[in-house]
Amino acid sequence: MIELALELPLSRFTLRVETRLGEGVTAVMGPSGSGKTSLLEALAGLRRKARGRILADGQVLLDTERGTCCPPEARRIGYVPQDAGLFPHLTALGNVRFGARGEPGLVEGAVDTLEIGGLKDRYPASLSGGEKQRVALARALATRPRLLLLDEPLAALDVGLRERILPYLLRIRDEWRVPCLYVTHNVGEALALAGQLLLLREGQVEAQGAPLALLSSPGLSREAEAGIENLLPARVLSHDVEAGVTRVRVEEGPEVSVALSPGRPVGSAVTVALRAEDVLVSVEPVRGLSARNVYEARIASQERTGVDVTLRCTLRDGGVLLARITPGAATALGLAPDRAVWLAVKSHSIQML
Amino acid sequence: MLTADELGVVLFTVKVAALGTALILPLGVAVALGLARYQGAGKSALETVLSLPLVLPPTAVGLFLLEALARRSPLGSSLAAHGIEVLFTGKAVILATSVMSFPLLVRSARTAFEEVDPRLVGLARTLGCGPLAAFFRVTLPLAWRGVLAGTVLAFSRALGEFGATIMIAGNIPGRTQTLALAIFQYNQTGRDERALVLAGATVALAFATLWTTEWITRRRARRSQA
Repeated sequence: MIELALELPLSRFTLRVETRLGEGVTAVMGPSGSGKTSLLEALAGLRRKARGRILADGQVLLDTERGTCCPPEARRIGYVPQDAGLFPHLTALGNVRFGARGEPGLVEGAVDTLEIGGLKDRYPASLSGGEKQRVALARALATRPRLLLLDEPLAALDVGLRERILPYLLRIRDEWRVPCLYVTHNVGEALALAGQLLLLREGQVEAQGAPLALLSSPGLSREAEAGIENLLPARVLSHDVEAGVTRVRVEEGPEVSVALSPGRPVGSAVTVALRAEDVLVSVEPVRGLSARNVYEARIASQERTGVDVTLRCTLRDGGVLLARITPGAATALGLAPDRAVWLAVKSHSIQML
Repeated sequence: MLTADELGVVLFTVKVAALGTALILPLGVAVALGLARYQGAGKSALETVLSLPLVLPPTAVGLFLLEALARRSPLGSSLAAHGIEVLFTGKAVILATSVMSFPLLVRSARTAFEEVDPRLVGLARTLGCGPLAAFFRVTLPLAWRGVLAGTVLAFSRALGEFGATIMIAGNIPGRTQTLALAIFQYNQTGRDERALVLAGATVALAFATLWTTEWITRRRARRSQA
């Protein structure tokens, strides 16, 4: 358990974060320049101007009021920066061993977890981006950290590579059980890894809670640059190559057809992501439309969000979809709460995270 | 070939240059690291002062040292009170060469330290290194080429030091006479053929120094291929 109440003056604002971090991964999201990296560096002990308190498993790492400030080397907090930050003069194994504690098997365990046994003798200059990240993760793990700070570890990698690194992060979470603070801009990563989400804005905690709930609450997710209002946990049912779709079942909700994604095994858990403005609203049953997903629903609430109108619709098969339409459309269709509607969504408007 | 006396001069020159370089190495590295990391006020003023011996005539620097160490000065009198005689001894040669080569070491090492990403040093700290361990395990291994180059420059400069040395150490054969001074003396006394032999010795020394440096650098480069 990590408890922190931090203040760090930055050039444009003062970073103020007060929170508790338990087991598992806490994702940190927020616009660029909202203080995410500074927060990690302050926790690691690399920002001398940080004020406040940090308590880790009962040990005081920082308490400026009482004049306690643990130097970084005494904190046992692992830090993996965005560019991996490997020591160029050491081999991959040399890097992993750099901060290893005497505990036997720790280096080997970290090497095995990240599957970097084949890279041991290579120097960082000859490693790919994904390999560097894995070596950096192993290096941090080998110190047996009490908290792991990951600063957008996948941001510098292309999409295919991200999918291959993600399983390693899941292993670290599940096998090493290190609490983790994970900075990311990617909604999919946050949903796949994190049990908790911290939204930062201008150095302040804007919201904190379950990732799915936060990311799908209108208004908030925009601020987090996520912009996807409908995020629904689902399981893959089948791949229909002929029809070019993959069918998934939303938890306690309808079946959804998305563009064919054979990479997702049948039965695996996914998140269906859909922008509210990609949902078509009809007041009559829909016929003869190309959209593969049509749901009968009822308007639960209707509210003005900015220049648009956001409809909260309860589906007949269960579940909720948010739809965003123009005020003109709402008037023309005579939309009002409790009105029956049909919602149509193209398979290609839906992303699987 | 060199006479016994001339060989003595060569050995003495190498000895004072090596001693002087060894003496300024820890301080020079510390100052270089400080300058590389320090970003506060007065940084450029400090750098300018430290580089002065590079641009001043060596005899002017020698004159300042002479004034500072003279018995009438506070420093000179307190040294004398402890029975320490510096002026016109071997110590003066070492002092003169050290002062003149110090800025060369600092400049080269500072550039090398500035090129070490401070975030790597921070990472080393999070991996359990104290400041000193982080320096020896990350900063120095990444900057050693520059530090070595600075050390070689300082040593070479010390081998050839003339102006400041003659001001505070004189040109006393067998006591303070270095190669540069001996060449000057031979030339002044019309023995140019001996001066040429000694000049040849300096070429050999310089060549050996630079070649060894190159060899070390290449060997290390092959090993780390970075």
